[in-house]
Amino acid sequence: MTRPCRAGALGRVSESNSKLWLRKSFACPSARTIWVLLLLAVVLSPSAAHAYAGPGAGFAVLSSFWAIFVAFLYSFYALMTWPFRQLFRFLRRRNAYGKATFERAVILGFDGMDPELAERFMSEGRLPNLSKLRDKGTFSKLRTTFPAISPVAWSTFLTGVNPGKHNIYDFLACDRNHYLPYLSSAEIRGPKRHIKIGKYSIPFGKTEIKAMRKGTPFWHWLGKAGIFSSVIRVPVTFPPEKFQGVLLSGMCVPDLKGSQGTFCLCTTRAAGDKFREGGVRAPVERKNGVCHSYVPGPDSPIAEAAGQELRVAYEIKPDVAAQTARLTVGSEKFTLKVGEYSEWIPIEFKAGMGFNAHGICRFYLKEVSPEVEVYVTPVNIDPGHPDLPISHPVTYSIYLAKLYGAFATLGLAEDTWALNEHVLDDDAFLMQAYGNHEDREKMLFDALDKTRQGLCTCVFDTTDRIQHMFWRYLEEDHPAARDVPKAERREVIQDLYQRMDKLIGRVMEKIDDDTLLMVISDHGFKSFARCMNLNAWLHQNGYLALKDGKTESGDWFEDVDWSRTRAYTMGLNGLYLNLKGREKQGTVDPSEAEALKEEIKQKLDGLVDPSSGTVGITGVFVTENVYRGPYAENAPDILVGYGAGYRASWDSVMGKVTTQIFEDNMKAWSGDHCIDPRLVPGVLFSSHKFVTAKPAIVDVAPTILKLFGIALPSHFDGKPWDLAPRALTTKTPAVTPAT
Amino acid sequence: MPSLALFLASWLTSPLAIVIALSVVIGLLMIVLFGYTSDQKAIAIAKDQLKAHLLAVRLYRDQLHVVMGSYGKVLRGTGRYLKLAFKPLLYVIIPITLMIVWLDRSLGLTAIQANTPFLLTARVNNADALDNISIDLPPGITASAPPVHVAADNEVVWRLVASQDGAYDVKIKTATGAEGVNKTVRVTSQLAQLSPERLRDHFWERMFSSGESALPANSVVESIAVNYPERNIPLGVAGYEMNWIWLFFILSMIAGFIFKELLGIEV
Repeated sequence: MTRPCRAGALGRVSESNSKLWLRKSFACPSARTIWVLLLLAVVLSPSAAHAYAGPGAGFAVLSSFWAIFVAFLYSFYALMTWPFRQLFRFLRRRNAYGKATFERAVILGFDGMDPELAERFMSEGRLPNLSKLRDKGTFSKLRTTFPAISPVAWSTFLTGVNPGKHNIYDFLACDRNHYLPYLSSAEIRGPKRHIKIGKYSIPFGKTEIKAMRKGTPFWHWLGKAGIFSSVIRVPVTFPPEKFQGVLLSGMCVPDLKGSQGTFCLCTTRAAGDKFREGGVRAPVERKNGVCHSYVPGPDSPIAEAAGQELRVAYEIKPDVAAQTARLTVGSEKFTLKVGEYSEWIPIEFKAGMGFNAHGICRFYLKEVSPEVEVYVTPVNIDPGHPDLPISHPVTYSIYLAKLYGAFATLGLAEDTWALNEHVLDDDAFLMQAYGNHEDREKMLFDALDKTRQGLCTCVFDTTDRIQHMFWRYLEEDHPAARDVPKAERREVIQDLYQRMDKLIGRVMEKIDDDTLLMVISDHGFKSFARCMNLNAWLHQNGYLALKDGKTESGDWFEDVDWSRTRAYTMGLNGLYLNLKGREKQGTVDPSEAEALKEEIKQKLDGLVDPSSGTVGITGVFVTENVYRGPYAENAPDILVGYGAGYRASWDSVMGKVTTQIFEDNMKAWSGDHCIDPRLVPGVLFSSHKFVTAKPAIVDVAPTILKLFGIALPSHFDGKPWDLAPRALTTKTPAVTPAT
Repeated sequence: MPSLALFLASWLTSPLAIVIALSVVIGLLMIVLFGYTSDQKAIAIAKDQLKAHLLAVRLYRDQLHVVMGSYGKVLRGTGRYLKLAFKPLLYVIIPITLMIVWLDRSLGLTAIQANTPFLLTARVNNADALDNISIDLPPGITASAPPVHVAADNEVVWRLVASQDGAYDVKIKTATGAEGVNKTVRVTSQLAQLSPERLRDHFWERMFSSGESALPANSVVESIAVNYPERNIPLGVAGYEMNWIWLFFILSMIAGFIFKELLGIEV
């Protein structure tokens, strides 16, 4: 699948008459002769007065010379200082690669790649390159973290420690004072001081971005030893930290609104219900055949009252006969067919007083008749003009944007919510997901080309998002696909794995004997057919109380009576006690906490879904037995491990109490991994054989450090794997890609 | 107030004001034309790629293969960028060259001033013709010195003076009774279209430096030149003066830069 508009039709779609006239007159042979003669005359009769051909050409010539001059200066500086820098490094650290087993390590992360599916597709002959890695190197399940959630597992991958030491337990963490969630990975705070001028409140100072993830990524240790790293889209690397190398942040980078992705549906249809998740609706107003709508942006940083949303208006001129529309967004004009995406369009939100926010978004034309509907992706931070740092150095995202054009920067860039809410259909979602994927492939190959020594690692989210959204087609009777005839169910996930296999093949073409290739995933995948509302269970079992007369709560515990509540849950797997001295309205005495946890554990473990008789919960884990480290106290008290086919319900995640405990999952989001971690291990493939019994994701960081000959920090929880003796002694040739 | 109006009127017709106005108008026109005739998307991409390769040199400065590779890409990218800029150049170079030539006749030279001596030089195609050459001066112009024959160059030089402003036709005769050939001499303190030389043959030279018709092909006179002094435009700052073409270059570039930003045209 390719993006139809990636390289094309922005800018001017039709040429003006004058331009055509010029082109035609130049194309006509007789006219061409005259032009050539005239040009020759001008060129062959030089004098001072004739050397200048207007400001356009003047700029072209001047900037060309400037570019060459600057490049020469940079290169000259780099060349002249290179020996001294090398000498300095040598004196400080001796030879950085002196003890390294490999010159380079390439780690490809495929979020959510499942070992059972990989094995099945390999046995069907669909994955020749992964099969080669399995046959010549390593293929194993990779134990994941508790819980098996991407930000948790990838944080463990990059720090080599358990969550008690890196402080990430879910996408969301719980504010115990307000029983409300906040983003677990980073906290963005506007300037503290403001100066009031008239109706404006001018912020004074810098926006603060505080990393909530603790621990040190292993590429810092590599950098300290003089080993360069290219790190692309590894989750929970926002805000980016300094080290010797380049890094583009991945999962957890917010959109320009500060959310994890807010799409917009612009429509002439009357306002319906608000989207349950992830999106907003903007009206499209028709006037004389021209439609007007807007892209919602962040809140104004200078408005005195909070919540004054900035907007960028745009125009839609539908052509019903051609099933197209011409969109004008600021200075950008482009034509879209129904079912087509635009390129990334730069958007500037102007707050006044010189305060602007720069973003990019894509427009997708859904319909031009009888109604007009345009889907707008979440407004991503513009990588070429980042208002927040999304890379290290800051220029790295600018470099990538200049080299390949604008790209998705949002952490969760594939708009799963829009597919869930039927704003996008399967094709539109896949088009978007693979469009982003292609951009990341380009970045990976650029990094491979630039990083011939050191570490090169890139994480692809596509595997996770597509499995989440299309698992329904893998199963005969998934509730979310019961209405879809079998003939219309596509082999989306098989195709996904084959695409990834081809990518691995292309990477194998780029590596040599001195490169270690590892393919890993943070967790596997299982069906998500049944939802369980754990808050409803807590309510029905007397642990959570609602205000008198209420049988259900609103989102985020609206109508929960905290004075009578002993336990609650928010997020995907965490269960919290309402502990005195910790929660604002705590009721459970710390001395009773252990007993209460044990009581809940006993009741929940092995809980059966009455409608099918299947075990819905296969493991309940008291976190003090699982986590060790200085941040363990921030963890939920209990982790709930759902059985295969089950997961926390959408309502339960959002702190809502319903009357039903179990129900079918009817959403396109039909596969998941936020279950019992023992059921969803990730994968480990490698080009060289490792000797290890039960590899875990926490072992990757120490393994890489050991392979580069670097002493392991004492706080690491992971254990390095050993290479098989043959690989160590003979350096088995790197696997070649399957043809 | 009347004196201010007079000052403004005289300033607005001064060469400086004219060059400023021309630079702004031409800067705008050329930028718009560049925008229309160039592949804006391709230029934007070419420029972005250049910047990317420059950034690569900084990002990967410890990796020599990247530094050298990026430098090579900068050179190639510059070539691609210039190629893209060449197409609009084809459209603008002829009109702007012709316009500059035309303007140079007014703004590049100063007309002869009344009561100020000037030289008129006639060149013939053989030294023998020098013996019979003579000049017919119109009323208002007088010779202030006898003619000087420069046999080595086949030239005769007259030192003349005009008593008042006007356009005078000076006739050069190469034989008694012959009809002779004319050369216009402009005497004024205002801006005027000037032709410093009248030529026989030399088509391209006539195109670019002469504003008059060619001398007859059978004439022994090859050229008649008037030594109009070059004009330097006072900038009104610390006595600085500048040739109009440099001033035009700088001002039109500034105007072009402003308009390209305002109009969003990629250059």
